[in-house]
Amino acid sequence: MILATSLSYTYPVGTRPALRGVTLSVGAGELVLITGPTAAGKTTLCYALSGILQHEFGGSFSGYLALAGRPVTEYAGVSELNRHVSMVFDDADSQLIFTSVEEELASGLETRIDSKQEIEGRVRNVMELCGISHLRERPPYALSGGQKQKVAIAAALAMDTEVIILDEPTSELDVGATSQVIGILQGLKTQGKTIIIVDHSLEGYRTVADRVIVMEEGEISREGTFDEIYPDQQGSMKALYTDPDLKPYQPAGSPEVVKIDSLRKKYGEIEALSGVSLTLHEGEFIAILGENGSGKTTLVKHLNGLLRPDSGSVLVKNLDASTAPVIHLVQQAGLVFQNPDTMLFADSVKDEIMFGLENIGSHGPDIIIQDVLSMVGLSGSEQAYPRHLSRGERQRLAVACILAMRPGIIILDEPTTGLDEKESDQMMDLMLSLQKTGHTIIMVTHNMRIAEEYASRIIAMENGLVIGDYHNLKGRAS
Amino acid sequence: MSEILQYIPGNSPLHHLNPVTKLLLVILIVGLCVISSHIPFLCFLIAILVIGAFFSGLISETKSQVPFLLLLSFFLVLLTSLTVQEGEMLLTILPSSGQNDPGFGVTAGGLFFGIVLSLRFVVMITAFQLFVVTTKPSDLVTGLLAFRLPVDYVLMLLIALRFIPSLQLEAKRIHEAQLCRGYNPGTGISGKIRSLKPIMIPLVANSLAKTQVLGLTLDMRGYRARKHFPLHKLVFGAGDAICAFLVLVILVVFALLHFFILP
Repeated sequence: MILATSLSYTYPVGTRPALRGVTLSVGAGELVLITGPTAAGKTTLCYALSGILQHEFGGSFSGYLALAGRPVTEYAGVSELNRHVSMVFDDADSQLIFTSVEEELASGLETRIDSKQEIEGRVRNVMELCGISHLRERPPYALSGGQKQKVAIAAALAMDTEVIILDEPTSELDVGATSQVIGILQGLKTQGKTIIIVDHSLEGYRTVADRVIVMEEGEISREGTFDEIYPDQQGSMKALYTDPDLKPYQPAGSPEVVKIDSLRKKYGEIEALSGVSLTLHEGEFIAILGENGSGKTTLVKHLNGLLRPDSGSVLVKNLDASTAPVIHLVQQAGLVFQNPDTMLFADSVKDEIMFGLENIGSHGPDIIIQDVLSMVGLSGSEQAYPRHLSRGERQRLAVACILAMRPGIIILDEPTTGLDEKESDQMMDLMLSLQKTGHTIIMVTHNMRIAEEYASRIIAMENGLVIGDYHNLKGRAS
Repeated sequence: MSEILQYIPGNSPLHHLNPVTKLLLVILIVGLCVISSHIPFLCFLIAILVIGAFFSGLISETKSQVPFLLLLSFFLVLLTSLTVQEGEMLLTILPSSGQNDPGFGVTAGGLFFGIVLSLRFVVMITAFQLFVVTTKPSDLVTGLLAFRLPVDYVLMLLIALRFIPSLQLEAKRIHEAQLCRGYNPGTGISGKIRSLKPIMIPLVANSLAKTQVLGLTLDMRGYRARKHFPLHKLVFGAGDAICAFLVLVILVVFALLHFFILP
């Protein structure tokens, strides 16, 4: 179905090639999993295989690429290629354009199918397949991250092409939703579709992937079956909080830093938190787990005043978080958001950190800046332009910005999204070292592997309630 | 969060109208309100729009625009009464200094022009709002393509509309992220302007980063391959016939007012 020989490519603005001599052949009905560290050229390879690179991007291209038996260059642009290939891009939000989920799915079909009934029928089937029928009339931009990813996948599936390319389609999905997506892909495979998928969380593909390709620096570094490449288990897919290794949580002797009592919060008609009570102690490394939409992020936003309770109380280091000004709360509990790009704006790393310090009127910033940069492993980058750093570095810079304000509690919302395994571990090692210096770490995540490997306490949430509170004996923070 | 200029799903007569009919109606209404400077006629157009909004159950959406429209009208009237010096002096600000100097103040001509301008804006904004919130974006594309507008321009409009709620959401997210760093929206005009930087830079940079994927998605769905939409494929229903009748009524009123009653 796809044949690539010695494919090399350099972006128009790039100096180093993004792809170097990639040779690959994918047969019809095959499911190929591509993995590797960030910036290894996985996304570029996706763009190449879908024909986007040759037809839309410019840059210098060498080698041969054929799709469905025809050289890609012979196709009359992406508008012809889209009859054979559909693609799910890694940013779900920016590929949802229309104002209802139904219209989103229909939009690709209107250009090729005349019959309205046929379009409606196909849209209905795809919505059922992906479990998004209940979202039919909802505007895509208002959905949660996980729901958006499902809609983006559904929009690509609706096109019913022979080849489907998915670039990190499960990065925002919880365990249940990820295995659901993998199940759908398996079904498509048996129908004879060719599927190419890029992902960081791998274990779920063990039984589905025909082949695994590991990329490094634009080259294919290893290739083989899943068991050949990864003989060991990679972060269990089973829901961790049913793990028998977890012991019920017993409070440690350290002082209380956060006390939440019967916290309730509503968004319009939907109750996001329905009576959460929790006590967190100093020096704990807490992972809050739960499915998409279980209220994890809503909960932690109450700790620094971004959200205020509808009822119930939240005490953070004896400050009443339902009334205390945000500026006081953020010096006790620093929250690092999932996407560092929502905060980076300054012209240099130093200015970026300075921003927070100036806001709280801190003195002697220079030493603090050196200090936090060495903590996050970014010493010597003071003058770098923040947005030119790699994703992992940007994430660590975001942590540094919060650290500089010296909060005792550090809250991370999905700290490993968009990071590869090595970068995720770097991030977690950083958190371990902070925990050692007396910080309390609260991490909202759906990444079971890092929760299991690092956290000392695991809190499970479902439908706005805490459903489990465990001491994790295996966690390196214990 | 209120969403500006976004399609509101519904089942009203306006929702069921053919996009082409709606577009023609909007062009006609906007065109006539520009040509006419007759206050009763402009009020008549507003009345038609309000009735349309009422029958589509969109009266609350239309109402929510009223404070903005009043503010806009106030500034327009202020601007024209201070700049257009024509007709009878209603309120003298600087008295006449001699024979050839009428003085400076609010004149009947300036006030009239301001009111006409305000009414025109009310008509245009309300008509456009009703059109956009009752038309699915994909129908909007079809409608505009049926008018043989180049597909690239149609998609530009689609994307511009699409970005409004995204920008609102993104701005909120960025605002929260900066609050976590003790961000303090400044006081005074210079403070306000300086405090825009931490919000605007990530907002613009992140939005630009999104455009590439958005464009590629449209391409992959074959949108740019649609050159124009064959008019005969559009289905016209009873509502469209009623609209044709409405067009006739508007034109008759226009002609009567402008050529007979007020020649």
